[in-house]
Amino acid sequence: MNNTDAALFKDKKMGFLIYLGIEAIMFMVLFMTYTIFTPPTKDPFPADIFEIKTVVLASVFLLSSSVTLFLSDKYLKKERKTPFIIWLVLTFLLAAAFLGVEINEFASYVQQGYTTSSNVFMGAFYVLVGLHAAHVVFGIGWMIILFIHHIRKIPAPLFLSKQTIFSYYWHFVDLIWVLIIIIVYVPYL
Amino acid sequence: MNWSEITVHIPFFGESIFLTIDVFIAWILLIVLVIGAIVYAFRKRKFPVIRDYLYTTNHRKVGTLYMIFGFIFFLRAGLDALFIRLQLALPNNNFMDFQLEKYNETFTSHGTMMIFFAAMPMLIGLMNIAVPLQIGAKDLAFPFLNAVSLWLFVAGGVMFGSAYFLNSSPAIGWTGYAPYSTAVYTPGAATNFYVFGVQISGLGTIFAALNMIVTIVRHRAPGMKLIRMPLFPWASLVTSFLIVIAFTVLAIALYLLMFDRLFGTSFFGGEEGDPVYWQHLFWFFGHPEVYVLALPAFGLFSDIISSFSKKPIFGYPAMVISLALIGFLGFMVWAHHMFTVGLGPMVNTFFAVTTMTIAIPTGIKVFNWIFTMHGGSLKTTTPMLFAIGFIPSFVMGGVTGVMLAVSAADFQLHDTHFVVAHFHYVILASTILGIFAGLYYWYPKITGYQLNETLGKWHFWLFLIGYHMTFLPMHLTGMQGLPRRVYTYGSDEGMTALNFTSTIGASLMGVSIVILVWNIWQTNRQGILVGDDPWDGRTLEWSVASPSPEDTFTPMPFIECTDPFWDAKTKGQKLKTAPNPRPAPIDEHTVLPFLMALAVLVIGFGLIYQSYLTAGIGGVAIFALFIIRSFRDEHTSFHKEGARHE
Ligand code: HEM
Ligand SMILES: [Cu+2]
Repeated sequence: MNNTDAALFKDKKMGFLIYLGIEAIMFMVLFMTYTIFTPPTKDPFPADIFEIKTVVLASVFLLSSSVTLFLSDKYLKKERKTPFIIWLVLTFLLAAAFLGVEINEFASYVQQGYTTSSNVFMGAFYVLVGLHAAHVVFGIGWMIILFIHHIRKIPAPLFLSKQTIFSYYWHFVDLIWVLIIIIVYVPYL
Repeated sequence: MNWSEITVHIPFFGESIFLTIDVFIAWILLIVLVIGAIVYAFRKRKFPVIRDYLYTTNHRKVGTLYMIFGFIFFLRAGLDALFIRLQLALPNNNFMDFQLEKYNETFTSHGTMMIFFAAMPMLIGLMNIAVPLQIGAKDLAFPFLNAVSLWLFVAGGVMFGSAYFLNSSPAIGWTGYAPYSTAVYTPGAATNFYVFGVQISGLGTIFAALNMIVTIVRHRAPGMKLIRMPLFPWASLVTSFLIVIAFTVLAIALYLLMFDRLFGTSFFGGEEGDPVYWQHLFWFFGHPEVYVLALPAFGLFSDIISSFSKKPIFGYPAMVISLALIGFLGFMVWAHHMFTVGLGPMVNTFFAVTTMTIAIPTGIKVFNWIFTMHGGSLKTTTPMLFAIGFIPSFVMGGVTGVMLAVSAADFQLHDTHFVVAHFHYVILASTILGIFAGLYYWYPKITGYQLNETLGKWHFWLFLIGYHMTFLPMHLTGMQGLPRRVYTYGSDEGMTALNFTSTIGASLMGVSIVILVWNIWQTNRQGILVGDDPWDGRTLEWSVASPSPEDTFTPMPFIECTDPFWDAKTKGQKLKTAPNPRPAPIDEHTVLPFLMALAVLVIGFGLIYQSYLTAGIGGVAIFALFIIRSFRDEHTSFHKEGARHE
């Protein structure tokens, strides 16, 4: 990277980290909302609807996607293209798998008649976990764009900066998932 | 007279809207104004200029647009204020149809627009214009994002403003208290306009603050340590942190309210929900918000007072520390808006004490302003007059604030015109006088011209007198028990004279604003250039050309003290230059930010009228624009000359 690239990249990193701080505050308020209203006073109760299997499966997918992305980053910095792209594709697949599990979970709740209006616990659950899922969807779209940039062969420092910002995002989304496990699921499993 | 019987139906997203006569007149006025503006632009061949501003990412131009749109919304909200005052001028009054629900709509629009669409944008506009120039930055750190922030604010404001024209103004107060704001009590579009209008412009505000933080932390001129920075950038920095925290909480509060209204949850109402939770979230935002409004004004008054006293600011470190302290304490006082909710004596006591504590850093600032003037050679220019008018007026608002902080007293004063008097005293004294001061002070940097001083002084005196005349009597009516948000009072309550005085005061302020507009018009028409340093200033912005060029600070100055420009002038030298300044942000010419905001506007309208197809179209558009942006951002074109990725 030349001088200009490096300086602007640092600006961007700092800006994006502040942005993630903003997101963190958003999720904090939603976690607070969830803890205030859970457990609810009427049906459905979290203990009755959460399933260990789904949580574990989703977690395995999403948490390992952080590891694969980390490896992908490493090879990008070493400028080894093949392993880089393989790990990135794996990240993408794991994210998609996580999303599949989530959609399944939501669909099964809806089928059992548990919607946003069932009670205030369900509402708090959907606005929190749903927002997280929306972040995953956004991340998946973002990865597709990254692939395209890679194929287009945009300048290396520019690609590196795009990938780095994305991995900040993705690790953050993962971190939120860890908190979701701890705060949303574990107490009621 | 019963105006509301004349109605016109227009179909809109499958709804039909009653067009009462006042709305009908407003439509005609709007159309005439818009056509007039287009004809004017056509005659004077202004379209290239408009196009230029539509595409710009330059901080001064973006800041100017913030000021222009903020001022338009200020006029609109000011008109609402006049209608409120006309309705309250006499007991049992029936001014047009501004009674009952219409009155509620009017004070809601007035409050919401003043806070979110007038005061904040004009302050952010001044920050945009002045902060980079004061710290030696060539632009904000993210020029593109800056334009996005601007257009998001405009989208939110236009959306909220259009509610009146569709005769669906929200009537829930600027505080949007639940459960009244939930779908059970206020179904339909009106309250949605509040939710989405504030949400969209709030997003823009958050991005603007983020941008400001990175700019101030990373883009100062070489040698300009934080402790050498003028106080307006300091205040902007603290304010930006407040915005980032407070507005984010508001964003989630509105997000939850949106779910309550549109998607069946019940966080704030129903048998399980908790209306008080909304109050906590709202005021956790709302109190810091008043410091978001006040701190930038404190900063700019500090610079102005120091400039026109021809002295460095007294107690600079204390000024910085008190700014930070006020910002910090601002987050620990929110429940003083909720003394009467029944949180209990311990909670009330805690919040009463924290609230009173804020008087200490604020008092420090007041004394330092006075000590700065003490022994200086004062120049009573218009900006300085506003600064001098600010100090005692603000202190009066502060004193009533401490009175309200006594939670026992608040049980009596809560929701009366005493509170209305209190918060108008603080907000108008700091924010509005501050915006005027900043406008006169930096007008040369914006346009190259200086506003007429005689008219400026007329503006100042009329506004100041009108302001005290309007709000001083409200303390008395409030203590006599006149409740806020109620559209009339009896002739036997002994408040007629006081209320009538208030209304006269409000019209004086109105006249002063007309003078301001006339002044701006005349000054621009005459177009007398006044040079780079018309005020004999102290800080860096006066070392660049007026109006500030797109490429400032070439060569980059090297800063060795506070007030560097003054220092250089008194020593008869030029500013030292720095050999290797950091690379500047890349300026762009792009319409994408405008289009993005337009897409968000479409999403907003779709959700307001629950036309999910419309919202979906907007959603697709915004993602398409994200992708386009990703493929042609400024870094790509910047790299075109450079090496390829291989
Ligand atoms: C320019 C002259 C102004 C006048 C004459 C004026 C007058 C009033 C009056 C009479 C009310 C009380 C209505 C009621 O409760 O029945 C009110 C409410 C309010 N005003 Fe102003 N105002 C002015 C400027 C401002 C400014 C500059 C701001 C803020 C930047 C502001 C913010 C508010 C807010 C937040 C409310 C509360 C609305 C609510 O109850 O929801 N006002 N104003
Ligand atoms: Cu407060």
